[in-house]
Amino acid sequence: MIKHLFKLIWNQKRKSFLLITEIFFSFMVLFAVLSLMVKYIQNYSKPMGFEYENVWVVNLDNLTETETDSLGTPFHQAREFIASFPEVEAVSFASQNLPFAASTHNSSVKYGNISSMAHIYTVEDTYPKTMNLQMSKGRWFNKTDQGTKYQPIVITEQLSQNLFGNENPIGKIIKADTTHKVVGVVASYKDKGDFTDPVAGIFFPISAGKDYKSNILVKVKPGTGAIFEAKLFKGLGGLLRGWNVEIEHLTDKKANQNKVVFIPMTVLLIVCTFLIFNVSLGLFGILWQNINQRKGEIGLRRAIGATEKDISKQFIGEVMVIATFALIIGLFFAVQFPLLHVFDLAADIYLIAMLISVIVIYLLVMVCAFNPSRQAASIQPAMALHEE
Amino acid sequence: MIKLENIEKVYQTKTIETLALNQINVEIKKGEFLSIMGPSGCGKSTLLNIMGLLDEPSKGNITIDDEPITNYSDKKLAAFRNKTLGFIFQSFHLINDLSVVDNVELPLLYRTSSAKERRKLAEEALEKVGLSNRMKHFPTQLSGGQKQRVAIARAIVGRPRIILADEPTGNLDSVMGNEIMNILTQLNEKDGATVVMVTHDEQMAKRTHRLVRLFDGSQVF
Ligand SMILES: Nc1ncnc2c1ncn2[C@@H]1O[C@H](COP(=O)(O)OP(=O)(O)O)[C@@H](O)[C@H]1O
Ligand SMILES: [Mg+2]
Repeated sequence: MIKHLFKLIWNQKRKSFLLITEIFFSFMVLFAVLSLMVKYIQNYSKPMGFEYENVWVVNLDNLTETETDSLGTPFHQAREFIASFPEVEAVSFASQNLPFAASTHNSSVKYGNISSMAHIYTVEDTYPKTMNLQMSKGRWFNKTDQGTKYQPIVITEQLSQNLFGNENPIGKIIKADTTHKVVGVVASYKDKGDFTDPVAGIFFPISAGKDYKSNILVKVKPGTGAIFEAKLFKGLGGLLRGWNVEIEHLTDKKANQNKVVFIPMTVLLIVCTFLIFNVSLGLFGILWQNINQRKGEIGLRRAIGATEKDISKQFIGEVMVIATFALIIGLFFAVQFPLLHVFDLAADIYLIAMLISVIVIYLLVMVCAFNPSRQAASIQPAMALHEE
Repeated sequence: MIKLENIEKVYQTKTIETLALNQINVEIKKGEFLSIMGPSGCGKSTLLNIMGLLDEPSKGNITIDDEPITNYSDKKLAAFRNKTLGFIFQSFHLINDLSVVDNVELPLLYRTSSAKERRKLAEEALEKVGLSNRMKHFPTQLSGGQKQRVAIARAIVGRPRIILADEPTGNLDSVMGNEIMNILTQLNEKDGATVVMVTHDEQMAKRTHRLVRLFDGSQVF
């Protein structure tokens, strides 16, 4: 019977062409949306690698001076001032590409012949305490590293994989702008929000007491709120007359970063729903038309021995076959994505997305065909065969 | 084999009630060639559909081999139509999207059979109606007479005991009509099939064993 249905649809492929194209496009859009969703869900389930609650960012901006050397002192004064409060657990200068900030800083790094792009972060010895970073190997850089031959760095697990594979990265010398020695690895670093990939990155130390950055990360004690924030703000204003001081919370920054993912995702989902709705309407239309045009055929099939169930099975079967044709074409294109590495997505993401898309399309088609096919089955054979 | 007693059929539409059949008593005996005649609209098709268990009478009894069919399920009715009956219609009712041989195989799809078996039976049936050389054609490529021969092949492919034909020559000219009539006669005489044929052509009716005349839904004697 299945072969019979394939033959029937194949012979009327011109009639089914529109529907096949529609289902094909829905499948492709669904596949694209689901690939992204699966990726986001996978990323969401991965650890952030640090704690962002109770971490504030103090941004300092001198509005007039541009000469950097003469500015060192007030930045360090500000840092000391913040650290002096009992509410503050830890502080660290950090480069502009703070967690959940829009700014990024990339560079290519090399180990032997292998190279990888890496995010470059410049932070203090106190950074792991401020962010409660989880180390997977080695240690963070500290004072004992001063005066050693190679500048000590900490890398992320992702970069370790890229450069060293399964080898132990500790002690390895890599080349960025100069040569650096890996002293530690952080387990994960997902600094662009819940839904992004853990990054390949390098943490460089700020030279103690000399260097500074205009952003200070501040870890406050749990429960520290607006009263302290106001006090801090006022104090910094008094200390740095004429400067622009801004205090942000990492939780807010994270929410903003998540929106960058959420908004396009929502738009895509709406487009996808609209398309699927359209396809459903098309399916309904074609099925109703089919049943009216094919009354004679329904009557004939009943006359030669089809039961009511056979008739409804046939109509559902036909749209399933049409969907199968569309899905075969769709899958042919879909498998090109992992095969040709069109986007930087893992093959398993595509496979899961394909599987879900196929199931969704088949379910959709069955749901749409259910009522019309029952209608077809309930047509009285004598009525269907009636001719004037 | 099939016995109709006191059959009455009323069609109920919103505005009118049509008494399509009134007090019909017919028994179809094994091996006979019966024709049903009457003017258009007198209830011939309705009667044939009731005989073929495609339609239910409003009143009256139908028995098959002395068994009343009132307690037949949809499945049992379908199986009976599939195995015992072969239908032929005035407008052929071929499926245009299927080739000739696929059309002929159709009844066999509703019973358990292998693809090979189906093909063999379909070829035999097409040979009987003289269309062996048109197997791969599509219905739109055939003349009316050829289409009706395909329909006959489809009706006989499952080796039914009874063939029910509703004006099988109604859409054909007299030459083609005669050809069809010859095939039906042969099926009756050589293969022992019971044939019931609706017609409004006296010439055709004369070539059958027995005639049932209808007028306005009633039997005329
Ligand atoms: N499905 C139906 N609904 C209402 N009336 C019908 C239906 N089928 C047939 N009739 C009516 O029943 C009468 C007999 O029809 P039919 O058996 O088709 O006649 P014939 O085949 O002798 O031309 C006609 O008056 C016809 O209009
Ligand atoms: Mg009629």
